[in-house]
Parts: sequence; structure tokens; C-alpha cells
Amino acid sequence: MVLILVIVTALGFDFTNGFHDTANAMATSIATHALRPKVAVLLSGILNLVGAFLSVEVALTVSNAVVKIQNSNGTPKPDLVADGGSALLLIILAGLVGGITWNLLTWLLGLPSSSSHALFGGLIGASIAGLGWAGVNWNGNGSKLDGVIGKVILPAIMSPVIAGVIAAVGTWLIYRITTGVARRFTDNGFRWGQIGSASLVSLAHGTNDAQKTMGVITLALIATGDWTDTKNIPFWVKAACAVTIAAGTYLGGWRIIRTLGKGLVEISPPQGLAAESASAAVILTSSHLGFALSTTHVATGSILGSGVGRPGALVRWAVAGRMVAAWLTTLPAAAIVGAIMWWIGHAIGGLAGAIAIFLLLIAAAAYMYLRSRRQPVDHNNVNDDWDARRELADADR
Amino acid sequence: MQHNLGFALEAAWKVLLAGLILGAGLPALFALGVRSLAYGAGGDAEEHQAGASGPRAHPIGTVAGYACFAIVLFGVALGITFIVASGFGKAISFEHVYPTIVDK
Repeated sequence: MVLILVIVTALGFDFTNGFHDTANAMATSIATHALRPKVAVLLSGILNLVGAFLSVEVALTVSNAVVKIQNSNGTPKPDLVADGGSALLLIILAGLVGGITWNLLTWLLGLPSSSSHALFGGLIGASIAGLGWAGVNWNGNGSKLDGVIGKVILPAIMSPVIAGVIAAVGTWLIYRITTGVARRFTDNGFRWGQIGSASLVSLAHGTNDAQKTMGVITLALIATGDWTDTKNIPFWVKAACAVTIAAGTYLGGWRIIRTLGKGLVEISPPQGLAAESASAAVILTSSHLGFALSTTHVATGSILGSGVGRPGALVRWAVAGRMVAAWLTTLPAAAIVGAIMWWIGHAIGGLAGAIAIFLLLIAAAAYMYLRSRRQPVDHNNVNDDWDARRELADADR
Repeated sequence: MQHNLGFALEAAWKVLLAGLILGAGLPALFALGVRSLAYGAGGDAEEHQAGASGPRAHPIGTVAGYACFAIVLFGVALGITFIVASGFGKAISFEHVYPTIVDK
């Protein structure tokens, strides 16, 4: 029973992961009208679906980098499954609730925060609550890039800067090379470049992010003894995660798309191409090198870089500042929610405890959804002028 | 903390280098392709004084443009192969200069 709650919640996280990250791939194409908003999210959704099915690699040890709830071969620690797995399930459930809550809140605020950080943060918080400080793998064992610092914090600081530099260089080069070519001619050419590079980002996103949820669900199944193979993931888990992340992507986090596409920089097609190419290159090369990173941080860094690299472009540093603030708070905030949820669940105990935190999640999600209806952002107004809308919103208050 | 910082910096410069080549180099090549096409098409594809008819067409530009696009497409195909290959537990090796798919 608790297992079903964990699976539903994990798929819920996968869904928020999808719509939270549509913007990473498609914000630039939507903002430059390379693709109509609905077409863009459909394309991105399909590519996420394909990408998720391509990730055959077992992602079971995904949480090992940050929390100590598994042995190195992927099986859960024996003392956590002594009572039929409920101790482990509660940690996972509380962690997932922390991750979803934070994803929804940042979506409501239109901030592109990292879904991986939200998930890891939630799990870290729940582990601290359940196992104490030693339950978290803070720093690895010194043999490779590992632990919260090596796998989460350092890449989070470095990857946006790297992506930004690449995008800035790319943008600058493109503008240098195409001076003297008629605007109409370049825009049409770059439109295709943009669509191609954005598709690559979507595909990479599907392979990277859907795996995390697959790993979490499989871990829960192993904890209860419903699955024993640590080398494979049940097919239905893979299919469910792939469909969920694609559905989430198709729904589209319009609020975040708007911030990334219109709020940060006024994007032109050449900048869009440079930004998405930089994102794709950074995501692919780093996953090749085992440098774990967040698609969100990379995409934001790239878009910012494309603004810096274009002479005379407008970069809204205030918006960028708010994003950085969201990045810094994502992990600790999700951790706090995860920890509180664990305590509540543990205090009530057993199935009732799990149901209680599940209901709390539903309540929080419903509240944030209703809040979002007050000032809806969808595919119709996603490209409205940024400053005009700001003034309207201010006048409302 | 120290060792992690070392590993991270080591990975970071590699990502930066590869990223500059693929993430900035390919778009630049793409831009070069667009420019060549414009040069090839001549006329209104290139900026020229209003009223005058634009520069004449240069077929060589069209050829060069499509050559650039071909290289870019090859780069993208390599990227997709990489995603698919790593999904199946394979990696792309550049040992023999040209890319080959090998076991991880």
C-alpha cells in the first residue's frame, strides 16, 4: 500500500520534472517564433518520450551519490528493509514530496530551478531526518567526483558559467560572420538550426531525467521485495516514467518558458541557435565525463551567455538574480520540506503516516494550482511583451 | 572538499573545451553556411543599397554553404549517436580519429 503511494508520488515528480524543464529546450524556439508554442511542446514531449526509452542504462544507483540508503550494487541497506521496507519507503516518499513541493512553488513563481536539485534535496532532507547527518554522502571518499559537494554543488556552480561562456562565444561568432546578410535571410536559416539544436536538448533531457525516477521506483520495488534484479528495470516502470515525463513536457511549464524566453534576454534566432547548441554540447559532453549537472542550470547559463555575447543586447540582470537565488535555495528548501514530511510521517507512523504526507502534498499542489489561475500563463500569452505585462501586474496590486 | 574541487575543475575544463568546439564551433560553421548561401543567392539576400539591385549570384557560395551544413549535420548525427549509444551501454571512441562505437 505504501509502495503504491511511493510509485504514484514518484510519477508525480516525473510529471513536474517534465513541465518544469520544457523551457530548457523550447523557450528560445518559442520566443523567436521558430516554432508555434503548441508545436514546440509537442515536439519536445515526443523527443522526451523517445529519449526516456533510450536510457537502457540502469539508473538504480542514482541516489547513491548523495544519500546512503543503498549498497554500492544498488540493493537497499539491509537495516532499512528489515521491517518489510517501510523505513526506506518513508524516506523516499518524504523526499519525493519535498521535491515536488519545491518544483511546484518555483513553477508558480515562474523560476527555472533544477528538478534534480529538488529531488536530491528532498532525499537529503528525508535522510537527515531518518538516519541523521551521517546518512548523507557529503563529500565522497576521495577517489572520484562524488557526494553532495562533488555531484551537486560544484557542477551547479560551474556548469552555468561554462554554458554561458560557450553561448556567448557562439553568439558573438555568429553575429560577426553574418554581418552583411539580409535579416530575413538569416532568420529563416537560423530557424532550422534552432529547431535542430533544441530537439537535441529535449532528447538528452529525456535520457537523463526520466532515469532518475525510474531508479527511485525500482529502488522502492526492491525494498519491498517486489523486484530483485539490480541490473534491470521493470519494463512497466520504464514505460510509465517515459510517458509521464513526456506528458509533463507536453503540458508545458508556460510560466517558466516565459521567464526563460522573454524575461531574461530578448532572444533573436541567432542567439537561440547559439544558446541551444551550447546547452546540447555541455549536457552531452558532461554526461560523457560523469559530470552530473542540471539541464536547467545549463540552459539558463546559455541563454544568459547569448545575451552577453550579442553586442547591445538587453540582459535583465534582476531576473537573472532571482534565478540564482532560486538555485541556491532549491536544495536546502526541498531538504527542509523532505525532513518535515519524514517527521510527520514517522510521528503518525505506518500506513497512516504515509497517507498523511501524501494528502499534505495533494493539498499543497491544489493550493498552488489555484494560485496559478489568478494570473495564468499559457500558450496564448507566453510571448507577450515582458515589461508591459510587468507593469500591468504591478498596477493590479 | 579539496579532492572534489580538483576532480570538478579537471572535468570542467574538458567540458569547456569540447563545448567550445561543438557548442560554439558548429553554430559558427552553421552561420558560415548561411552566409555562403546568401553570397551564393546574391540579390536581396545580402544587404545592399536601397534601389540598386543586389550583388549578383555566386554559385560557389551555394556549394560552400551546403558543405558547411553537411559538416554541421554530421556533428549533430554524432551527438544523437552518442545519446543512443550511451543508452545501450556503449560509448563513442575517437581512438582511430574517425568515431567508432565501443563498449563502455
